[in-house]
Amino acid sequence: MVTKRSVSLVDEVATAVEEAAKQDGVSFSAWLSNAAEKQLQVRQGLRGVAAWEGETGSLSAEELAAGEALLARLRSGVSGVASRVRRR
Amino acid sequence: MSLARREGLVYGVGALHAAARGDRMMWALHRAALSNGIVPVIPAVAVAEAYRTEARGDRIAELLDGTEVEPFSSEAARRSGELAARCDTTELATIAVIELADRRNCAVVAQRQAVLRNAAALLGHELVLYAV
Repeated sequence: MVTKRSVSLVDEVATAVEEAAKQDGVSFSAWLSNAAEKQLQVRQGLRGVAAWEGETGSLSAEELAAGEALLARLRSGVSGVASRVRRR
Repeated sequence: MSLARREGLVYGVGALHAAARGDRMMWALHRAALSNGIVPVIPAVAVAEAYRTEARGDRIAELLDGTEVEPFSSEAARRSGELAARCDTTELATIAVIELADRRNCAVVAQRQAVLRNAAALLGHELVLYAV
């Protein structure tokens, strides 16, 4: 099922979406819908993390930094092994 | 060491177990991925295996909130089955992780297993692994 909505986009964003949709072989609407769906997944996921933190304690600044660093290494193609960060 | 850039993350059963046992590094990585707009992907067969082998299903559910569970399509099932045969393994959940990582150019978060490396080698896929 599809709901039609009228949305306003900044000119530059609309142009960029048009180009990206063309490259991805989907319609303008489908591209926007996919982007919105992904954003909702991120939002829902961060709520899941917050729920876990509520049970076990918030991730410390050191833990957050370690997570960011590990993600950067993996995205750049470098494997890693589990390490523990000290909990504050 | 591989230097090929990866588009995202694929979680294996080990990643779900790590989250369920409260591995803080796993949760920090998961949060970092989401904060950077990356939604980790998990093959549906790995989710089934994790629920089969993990008592803390509630913790798995919290992690799954921020993931894309990819259905086991007929094409992925065929590729995984053929790869499992070539690896001489019944570890379909592990094989599905490698098949997905190869197809979507992702790094893998999973337990270190020989079958992961064997399957990656057979696919000619350069495995980028965070071993939990």
